[in-house]
Amino acid sequence: MGTIELVATRYRPEQDVQPWEQRYTVPCSEDMSLLDALNYIKDELDPSLSHRWSCRMAICGSCGVMVNGEPKLSCKTFLRDYREAGVVQVRALDNLPVERDLVADISGVVEHIEAVKPWLIRHSTAPVDTAHTQTPEQMARYHAFSQCINCALCYAACPQFGRNPAFLGPAALTLAQRYNLDSRDEGSSERMPWLNAEEGVWSCTFVGYCSEVCPKDVDPASAINRGKVASDINYGVNLFRLLRGKSDA
Amino acid sequence: MRKPWQPQQPRDWWLHNPAYRRYMLREATALPLMLYTLLLLAGIFQFSRGEVAFAAWLSWMQTPAALLLQGIALAAALLHAVTWVALVPKILVIDSDRLRIDPRQVLRAHQLGALAGNLGLVVATLWLLWPAGGA
Repeated sequence: MGTIELVATRYRPEQDVQPWEQRYTVPCSEDMSLLDALNYIKDELDPSLSHRWSCRMAICGSCGVMVNGEPKLSCKTFLRDYREAGVVQVRALDNLPVERDLVADISGVVEHIEAVKPWLIRHSTAPVDTAHTQTPEQMARYHAFSQCINCALCYAACPQFGRNPAFLGPAALTLAQRYNLDSRDEGSSERMPWLNAEEGVWSCTFVGYCSEVCPKDVDPASAINRGKVASDINYGVNLFRLLRGKSDA
Repeated sequence: MRKPWQPQQPRDWWLHNPAYRRYMLREATALPLMLYTLLLLAGIFQFSRGEVAFAAWLSWMQTPAALLLQGIALAAALLHAVTWVALVPKILVIDSDRLRIDPRQVLRAHQLGALAGNLGLVVATLWLLWPAGGA
């Protein structure tokens, strides 16, 4: 088992004016993830280093960090892939406030996600003894978009969000699409104003990097740009309704 | 007490990641196309000024510098077209209870359409310029 250099960007709000870099030497074996390395530092070298983690298996979405400039889940990133680079540079997720060391504050992202009402909205209720059935084809239409784990890697990858934090961003707009495409949902009219807004789908310029970094293959870039088609259709329908003297659809 | 560090997006954010550089290259294809449009507008302006002015513009368009500019504009247009058409299956998804079209077919249709449009344009131009044709 060899070793590898790990450079962590530190920020301790009590004493630091700005972030700074600290170098550690950590063991590097075939099966060691970056999360293992960060926990090794915390347990053996420097208990003051802060990082977020929970499940160790890419489902909780807690351990997102920038690794050599790329947003990644540290539990799904292996040191063996950085042997050639010789050094692993780790910092908190880009485009988000840094609470401490490698901990980014994703509460703004969570607020954006909540805004688009990511839950099934029904106006009519089925009798209690009947289920809202769905065919496999109907489920396939939104299934990939429902795999989001709210890790915010896509926000760290999005230069438009970096420029304007009011942009709802990849995960929120993807979840809006996920429910709009669900055959059981009746709430798209409540989500369309968010898609149509200045901070909605039209702030996306299809950089596409969100889809490249997504650890769950959600493809937010596709969801958002399909949202643009939905927004166009919604605009046409509304225009037609207004011309006929009716209210927005 | 909380005191989060507020990062600022650096001006050169797009230089540090290959994905961003590819994106900026695609966006930057608009610049040579704008230049080419201005060259064509200059041609129309010279045409309105008379035969001598137009002939001068035509011969200037055949100088190595002008040909290089046109070559760059053509390459930019092709790069934009190819990368943009490749994104079609991500945007135009035809999948409802009534109609479903395989995304590969949607892509193929767009590629064929683009190819037919461009070839048609070349054929039409050649036909119009051919000494016997067009007139």
